[in-house]
Amino acid sequence: MSTTAAQARRAADGEPETDRQEPLLLVGEAIATPARLTGDVTVRQSIAVTTWRRLRRIKPLTLFWLLIVLILVLPILLFLTVAISPSLLDQGTQAFTLSAFADALTGQLLVGFLNSLIIGIATAVISAAIGFALSWIVLRTDAPGRRIWTGVVFALLLTPSYLIALGWERLLEPNGVLQVIGWDATGLRGIFYGPVGIVVVLTVKGIPFAYLAISNALRGLGHEYEDAVRVHGGGRVAAMKAVITLLAPAMWSALAIVFAESISDFGVASTLANDSHFPVATYTLYNAIQAFPVNFPVASAVSWLLLVLVVLALFAQNRALRGRSFRVLGGRSRPAIRHQLGRRAKVVTTVFLALLLVTALGVPTFGAVAASLIDGLGSLAGTHQLDLSNYQRVISSPQLSQPLMYSAGLAAIAATVTIFLAAVCARLLANSGASVGGRILDLVLLAAVALPGIVFAAGYIFAYNLPVVNSLGIHIYGTTALLLLAYIATALPSTSRVLVGTMSQIQESMAQASRVHGSGAIRSWLSIVLPITARPLLTAWLLTYTATLLELPVSQLLAPPGSEPISVGITSTLGKYDFGGGTAMEVLAILSALVVVAVAYALFRFVAPAGWKNIGGTR
Amino acid sequence: MTVIQSSGPARELTAESRGEGVHIRGVRKAYGTVEALKGVDLDIAASQFTVLLGPSGSGKTTLLRGIAGIERFDVGSVHFGDKLISRGSHHLPSERRGLSMVFQDYALWPHMTVRQNVAYAIRRQRLGATAAELRVVEALDRVGLSAKSAAYPHELSGGQQQRVALARAIVGDPPLVLFDEPLSNLDADLRERLRVEIATLTRASGATALYITHDQAEAFALADQIGVLNQGRIEQLGTPEQIYQAPATQFVARFTGLGGSFVGKYVGDRGGYGQVRVGEHQLRCVPSSTVARHIDVELLIRPTASRLLPRPEGWPTSASENLEDIEATIVDVAYRGRGYDHVVDCAYGRLVGVFDVQAWPRGTRCLLRIEPDGCLAFPAEDRATRSNSR
Repeated sequence: MSTTAAQARRAADGEPETDRQEPLLLVGEAIATPARLTGDVTVRQSIAVTTWRRLRRIKPLTLFWLLIVLILVLPILLFLTVAISPSLLDQGTQAFTLSAFADALTGQLLVGFLNSLIIGIATAVISAAIGFALSWIVLRTDAPGRRIWTGVVFALLLTPSYLIALGWERLLEPNGVLQVIGWDATGLRGIFYGPVGIVVVLTVKGIPFAYLAISNALRGLGHEYEDAVRVHGGGRVAAMKAVITLLAPAMWSALAIVFAESISDFGVASTLANDSHFPVATYTLYNAIQAFPVNFPVASAVSWLLLVLVVLALFAQNRALRGRSFRVLGGRSRPAIRHQLGRRAKVVTTVFLALLLVTALGVPTFGAVAASLIDGLGSLAGTHQLDLSNYQRVISSPQLSQPLMYSAGLAAIAATVTIFLAAVCARLLANSGASVGGRILDLVLLAAVALPGIVFAAGYIFAYNLPVVNSLGIHIYGTTALLLLAYIATALPSTSRVLVGTMSQIQESMAQASRVHGSGAIRSWLSIVLPITARPLLTAWLLTYTATLLELPVSQLLAPPGSEPISVGITSTLGKYDFGGGTAMEVLAILSALVVVAVAYALFRFVAPAGWKNIGGTR
Repeated sequence: MTVIQSSGPARELTAESRGEGVHIRGVRKAYGTVEALKGVDLDIAASQFTVLLGPSGSGKTTLLRGIAGIERFDVGSVHFGDKLISRGSHHLPSERRGLSMVFQDYALWPHMTVRQNVAYAIRRQRLGATAAELRVVEALDRVGLSAKSAAYPHELSGGQQQRVALARAIVGDPPLVLFDEPLSNLDADLRERLRVEIATLTRASGATALYITHDQAEAFALADQIGVLNQGRIEQLGTPEQIYQAPATQFVARFTGLGGSFVGKYVGDRGGYGQVRVGEHQLRCVPSSTVARHIDVELLIRPTASRLLPRPEGWPTSASENLEDIEATIVDVAYRGRGYDHVVDCAYGRLVGVFDVQAWPRGTRCLLRIEPDGCLAFPAEDRATRSNSR
């Protein structure tokens, strides 16, 4: 059909020339028009137009879904299939077998699995207890120093577990900081290198999750429930019991989340646990993939076991919530009253908070900073003087400075792409009640958040190594492109979750009002939606940037030969007993992240129009 | 109170020509299996103020949003004047329909000042900066908010926010202004004041206005023409007087305000009114076109149609003499400033909103007289259909 014919048809339909002809069709017609010379060509050309018509029907949303399937769903599904059916994916001869599971549940692998289970339970219980105590002290008492804890909690949330573990190790290891100072750390080392230390570090990582879950509930819990107990004759203990009962759903959430996070953890598994020869499931999984020959079926079986534990935990939480969800969040609740602590109580809480702060942030920070300042730590060479020589070495040696530049670049790209995709996801999730697609996406993202990072990385290795993928012309295994893709895929689920709140808060009428008053779709988005969401978008970008910069499991498994992300650089430098250089890299990486955050917020503060800052800001 | 600026003779001159007629034919819209609109025809003359009145779920919001271009109709056509706006798969996007709209939740953009919010709506006219500024100032002046032009929406009260939304809607002198229940989030006193502003400013601008609400008092106060919607259909389109005095269906009568209803048998016409036998009484009424002799009817009684009379000593003296006055008891009385609203029980049911300038104490026995002009007879429906149409 030629342009004029199309016009004639439209005229016959009584349709005026309007915007419904989208650009793709115009391109199709432009290509087709010169070929109007012979009848033969006209046929071909009408086929061309039909093809364009079909293409035009592929909405951007379909492409988005395709991308979600390709980067989130397919790699994991393929990888999980291989445990059950190795032959389906050319990894063996059997079409259906459970032998990989049998392998995964014997010998060292079984030990690793059981260790993970025990560590997970211990960490969850201790974190929930400390999380509750911390929430109570911060929200319900006038304990000194309570205000800094929101900041501390977010710092802990952002600090990767391997950095915390490494800080402790630098202090306690033979020839470590304590020994250089002249302390004998042997006794402490014996306790810390093993399950106790692992639980301590994982608890430090678990506390923020427990604190956020419990404090949110406690904040919504008005004081009237406690008052009611007291008025009707219950004592202080009875009141506390009532509060704990009302907080039960939040406590269950805390337990489940911390358990799932702990057994999924790879940072401690590959550092402290590995150094103390204490096998855990995530590390046995890593070993199965790093082994030669690679044993994908066993790695997949271990992943299944991890996933089952995660799913059971979330399921238990769900049951607990459904069974007794107390509707205590109401407009009528009065703000709670802070308890005036007595002198003794004040001392006890202060000591508790100080100990917590020292264990969680103080020791790792001190360990890393001190180690980075000691010349030649870990080796017999060097003067063991306090100076900046490690930093000089890192900055001047490309081998040590390259990883940070490489990771910073990748993190910036990954964060930018992720924000864009996450905004679309969040938009779909925000009206997920309406569409089936939204609900499926919800499920996929939820599953992906719960998926251990190491399983994710293993899935990527496996899927993009398959001969099928190569024969499709996709050769990205062992390239930076695949690492980037994996970064985006791992960051997308949590970033989407972060943005859902914002996106569902935007009233639909905001954009509609813009359209009605004369702006097109793109302009409406740029002039209305973008400014309204600017601050949360920036925050989400920074979160994604920081998390990606310091990410370990995906980097460890997918780093292309010849390029090291910073997390791999740090661990491999430390592996070469260059403790000073490794910790200096660590400190520089964290400082660089803080600088990026500071610069970004400063820019927003000084450059963004006044109106943008009104939203989400505190008045 | 806001001072409403007179718009001056120049504006009056151009006003007549500015509005655009809206012509809607056979529009339908379904959400899954739920049909929100089941074939609506509607003609709105240029520069007329039309109110669509209906309960929630009647389809009025869908209709308005379809006209705005926020939703697409499944079937049917929309024309503004001679211009085709929407038909079948052809759908002119909102921004090219040249209209403006006041939203229920105001929809002021929080990152823009009041002035920027209003100015946004005339960007499409590509006026020079000075000309645009003048228009914005004038529009804000008209809604009495010129002093607030540098404020952000969150610094304003609800009423002020809705005034900004009104200024944004009229600043570009659009041919068509849509109102999506703009007063429903405001308290009673403010609602009344803003209603007056909407009526005067919109009429002064000469724009065609389409306004949706579920509040019949608001509809009667604003409209040149009212369309009553029920379950995706327009049940009646007419002037406020026509709707109130001669409702086409029971639904329209009920939705536009009743004091109560009696059940009786239609016995014939006399003296220009219908006659309905209710128990031992015979009441005069306005029969609907579907009423015929000897059928059961329902008498729908407007609150304005009932009067209280003192009950004479020894009543009933002779029942045959007075068939119109019904013996009743006062159940409740509420002071309304100008007088008193009474709730009255009689043998045939309960009437509310029975007005009298003086209070009748609770428990008083009295006589109730129903004026025939506000007493509407419709064929009795079975209970199921009636509860459905409520």
